[in-house]
Amino acid sequence: MRLKARTAMALTGYAFILPTFVFLIWFMYYPVYQALSGAFTYWDGFNPPAFIGLDNFRRMLSDDVLGQSTINALIWVAFAVLLAVLPSFLVAELIFHVRKSRWQYVYRTIFVLPIVIPMVVTILLWRFVYQGDGAINQLFALFGLEHWQQLWLGDPDIALYAIIFMGVPWINPFNLLIFYAGLQSIPKEVIEAAKLDGATGWRRVLRLDIPLSLPQFRLIVILTLIGSLQNIIPPLVMTGGGPGYSTYVPILHMYNVSTVNGEFGYGMAIALVIFVVILAFTIVNMRLVKSDA
Amino acid sequence: MKLRALSVMKHGGLWLLIVLTVLPVYFIAANSLKSPLGFATSTIAWPRTLNWSNYAAAWERVNTPIANTVVIVLLSIVFILLFAAMSAYAFAKLRFPLRNALFLLVFSLLLIPGFLTLIPLYLQIKKLGLSDTYWALVLPYIAGGQAFSIFVLKTFFEQLSNELFEAARIDGAGSPVIFTAIVLPLSVPICTTVGIMNINSLWNDYLLPSLVLNQAHQTLTLALVAFEGSSTTQGLIDYGAMMAAYVVASVPLLILFAFLMRNFVEGIASGSIKM
Repeated sequence: MRLKARTAMALTGYAFILPTFVFLIWFMYYPVYQALSGAFTYWDGFNPPAFIGLDNFRRMLSDDVLGQSTINALIWVAFAVLLAVLPSFLVAELIFHVRKSRWQYVYRTIFVLPIVIPMVVTILLWRFVYQGDGAINQLFALFGLEHWQQLWLGDPDIALYAIIFMGVPWINPFNLLIFYAGLQSIPKEVIEAAKLDGATGWRRVLRLDIPLSLPQFRLIVILTLIGSLQNIIPPLVMTGGGPGYSTYVPILHMYNVSTVNGEFGYGMAIALVIFVVILAFTIVNMRLVKSDA
Repeated sequence: MKLRALSVMKHGGLWLLIVLTVLPVYFIAANSLKSPLGFATSTIAWPRTLNWSNYAAAWERVNTPIANTVVIVLLSIVFILLFAAMSAYAFAKLRFPLRNALFLLVFSLLLIPGFLTLIPLYLQIKKLGLSDTYWALVLPYIAGGQAFSIFVLKTFFEQLSNELFEAARIDGAGSPVIFTAIVLPLSVPICTTVGIMNINSLWNDYLLPSLVLNQAHQTLTLALVAFEGSSTTQGLIDYGAMMAAYVVASVPLLILFAFLMRNFVEGIASGSIKM
């Protein structure tokens, strides 16, 4: 009887997870397998992939576009981390030090509100603002600063930075909420003790808030590293990687190599390398989160 | 006195940042109401006359894409939540061989970034003959939403007391009854939070749709990107209508968040959802 009941429960358990696994095998595990194995093949999408060993990876070493893309990605990641951390932490601090909790809630809500704007709209809007006759150049003309006008997305020396620095004042709602929650979780006694030691105002921020928010800083830095390596929609939509290859990033290269040139094997090899880099960051992150807990 | 000055500075600083944050909103709103002439004069100033016909022109172009996106997102969300809740319940409350190993197999998918499977998915959808149908997105979305949703829901279900389930079991209720009568009703709030997170990312998706959909099934993001390329009145791009389309595109999520903002904010702030 007990055995029968246990078998019945086991069967129910499998029945409950069956739909999930049907979908995962079909649209996750199999594509992952294809990506990982495809990296070692010549694969045009029509004929079955032909195994070519490490040829794709050897080709990557002498791929100038990939080299340029990697440099661009590193520049992007460096600035993305700064922009993800500094403005959001500053605003979290300001909101946290507002006296009335009602106002805190109002501010929090206002800063989170822009998430309703689809990301594509933000990107398209900035593409528009950066145009030769766009709002930024019009604004400079208004103040007689014509010599500051630029072809923001058309100049290969500027285009990458124009894309990186869109979205002034760079307040990320998600990061803001994480920092804010971190500040809220600082125990009252610790704050009181710090006050007695004379740590108020800026001194408090430096000595208390920042050290105690280190877990939040770490989480956001690593999530930004991972996220900004994958972010290809801004260059894809704003410049298509151009002018030249000045705004190319590795995953955009993968996208174009695969979908435009039909070189799926080579595309998967690029994807695999970036995946390994991102996986390394993720594992470091998990280790750190675990050591916090 | 000094305290008061400090407080003014704090509020002033915050409002300055708010102005900068909402500046794009002003920019879109102002230009969505300009005639082509007003647009050519300045893209910064507020329009002298409000040209509401831009919205009619925009709506004509984005109503089908919006309907497409709503159908795709709703279908996906319903099945993501249903299947994820079933699996999360099984992983949290039922005993069966290989349970932990299977959960680990699901959990490991959180490490797989979207770009890795993008191209294989595109090829598979083509091979299955699903291109240019809603299923081309719905089926991969259902799969893609599982790992994260199961992870969050399982944590929630584990906190539900076992006594409740034992009592129901003694009354003769089987797992399907317990699931529909007890688990689902209790998990409405958490499912709402998980649902919003999923809706937000699906609503914004661009890459997979750009590879597998034709114009008839275009999603909103595709239509917005294509707008500038093809919308012409007498050879000129209708920028006013384009900006109006941007406004219209933001309304559905605005409505959603108007009802569920507190849910979303508390969800992240409480740390229950850490990605």
